[in-house]
Amino acid sequence: MKKVMTALLAAGALVTLAACGGNSSNNSSSSSTEKVTLKFQSLAFQKTTVAATKKIVDDWNANNPNIQVEYVQGSWDSVHDQLVTQFQGGTAPDIIHDESADITGFVNQGYLADISQYLSKETKDAVSQGVWDTVSKDGKVYAAPTLMQSYVVLANSNLLKQAGITATGDSLTWDALAADAKKLTAGGKYGLGWGLKSPTATMLNLGLNFDAKYFDGSGTAAKATIGDAELEVPKRIHAMAYDDKSIDPTSLTQSGSDVLPGFYAGKYGMIVAGNYVAQQIAEEAPKGFQWEVLPPLKGTSTKQAANPQTLSVPAEGKHIEQSGKFIDYFMKAENLAAVGQGDWLIPTTQAARDAIQKATGGKNGWTQTLASGTELTKAPFQSVENYPKWKDQIATPAFQEFLANKTDLAALGKKLSDGWGQVNN
Amino acid sequence: MRTKPATRFLQYVAVICYLVFLGFPLLWLISSSLKSPQEFASITPSILPKHFDLSNYSDALNEQGLVRGLGNSLQISIYSTILVLIVALPVSYALARFRSRLRPLTNGWILVSQVFPVILIVIPLFMILRPLHLTNTIPGVVIVYTVWSLPFALWMLQGYVAAVPRELEEAASVDGAGRIRTIVSIVMPLLRPGLIATAMFTFISAWNEFFFALVLLQDPQLKTLPLVLARFVGAEGQVQFGPLAAASVLATVPSLVFFAFLQRRLTSGLLSGAVKG
Repeated sequence: MKKVMTALLAAGALVTLAACGGNSSNNSSSSSTEKVTLKFQSLAFQKTTVAATKKIVDDWNANNPNIQVEYVQGSWDSVHDQLVTQFQGGTAPDIIHDESADITGFVNQGYLADISQYLSKETKDAVSQGVWDTVSKDGKVYAAPTLMQSYVVLANSNLLKQAGITATGDSLTWDALAADAKKLTAGGKYGLGWGLKSPTATMLNLGLNFDAKYFDGSGTAAKATIGDAELEVPKRIHAMAYDDKSIDPTSLTQSGSDVLPGFYAGKYGMIVAGNYVAQQIAEEAPKGFQWEVLPPLKGTSTKQAANPQTLSVPAEGKHIEQSGKFIDYFMKAENLAAVGQGDWLIPTTQAARDAIQKATGGKNGWTQTLASGTELTKAPFQSVENYPKWKDQIATPAFQEFLANKTDLAALGKKLSDGWGQVNN
Repeated sequence: MRTKPATRFLQYVAVICYLVFLGFPLLWLISSSLKSPQEFASITPSILPKHFDLSNYSDALNEQGLVRGLGNSLQISIYSTILVLIVALPVSYALARFRSRLRPLTNGWILVSQVFPVILIVIPLFMILRPLHLTNTIPGVVIVYTVWSLPFALWMLQGYVAAVPRELEEAASVDGAGRIRTIVSIVMPLLRPGLIATAMFTFISAWNEFFFALVLLQDPQLKTLPLVLARFVGAEGQVQFGPLAAASVLATVPSLVFFAFLQRRLTSGLLSGAVKG
């Protein structure tokens, strides 16, 4: 009785509901002349970027009646989990928007198509080799890099003026940053607020300033190499916080955007954050708040790691050629400039950077922001398979302890090095 | 026995503290939804907004397809709730009333099924639903939510069924009522608080669920409310706090109405005096 009743109810419900359902996608193999509709899942976040991306799609659709692109809104928060399942089920969108760090795993698993043959020479020449390296493997190109972020120093112009600091030139050395922070530290105010709640990305990205490698080799064969160069950035930050006392120690426990209220209130003269924070400042800073972006930080160079946003195509996609053509169109200077300006991110091509410079007149720190993007390149850690594991389980807690002044530099180096052995076996 | 005034006073204090504890997040959410970006960035946040700014609501409603998401969530939650109740009522009755060797096994399985992480089953589930053309459809999600909520619903309802005195059913059978008639006329009215509680649990589970919806629904027209809310979070932890708070307030309203409507029916004590001794 029980079994029969349950089975009948369940089967009835299933049949009824299944009858109501329809399937949306119809992927059939297509030739380049057949009319196709491509799904483009965009992760554009800011209103201006969403509008710019939709305009790119509309312009393309108007000029390409046989290759229509359908804009689908995705979310950065959940894109990885979504793609994992979609790749497994063969339902990934025709054009995928994601960041290069996230697609590395998908490339290794063979989920993405080589799109190099669909990218024009103009596109290939416009992006630096260091940035192409972040989306390439064994000579094949698995995505087109579109926008990047860099770490910049943002400053309260009035406090700089009061302290007699003028930031000019092509770069700002770490020594100059420490000296400026010291000058700005007085009367209960700190020279620098630095949100380092999740410190690993900052340490490894800015580590390239001093040619820090952290890893030798790639994949699971990589070895951790923690020496003076790798410990230079943490050492300098620690010295500013605990020797010079020019960094607010509380800010070290906060996120990048948590330090903004203190910055507006004049609690810190400068902050170090991702360049996109400039947009938040432009939108929400109190009236009359004067701010600027300082020149790119420099150790032995101004290099930082590039982790560009990317557009890629699933290997099992039915319309790889058409998707590749649309991506090539997206990479045009005016298109990259439009989305870059909207998201306050740095385009990967010089022509697009020039277009933003021209459109903004370099205001709101754009000149320095764009300058900070010229030396972004692939870092060794981006080729290391178990880097995410090492980052979460080893590096982040080790850096946090060090920044809380609970361990010394030697102990930090040992933890980073020994920890790699623990997670990479 | 009368309660002492001091005890009564402490009881009131405890209740007020509890209400403040429960109500503050909601107050903060509503207040945040009316703040401008400048107020969000203030180093000294205020409980109430200095200037009421309704632009967050217009942003939330205009930019993100919130109304459509609300409609989809409402549809899915109501269908899932109805289906769960239809299936769970007879099954829980059978589990509570019929003694068999399968019963402990079934109950064991119900408990074990609750510990499976979603991530573990989502890909196989996706593979099963795809050939049935149930991915990217509302019915597909309804079926998944029904199956997902059913074990706990059975567990809950079983307890309620067990609390209904058997003597009432025996009395009904003496009066000539059959099994189905007894369930419909005697057991179901007495189970009303249990059914309401189960409905609430199922509704809220479906209303808040994110991951299955994320994986199973790709069509923007079918996105549920949690998926729409996730759109207010960008890369590198950027969050549009104002519109997100406004959208969250709007998202809370239907479930509050649903609960307000149902909680009055969550009365117990229906059985007191039903059986002597």
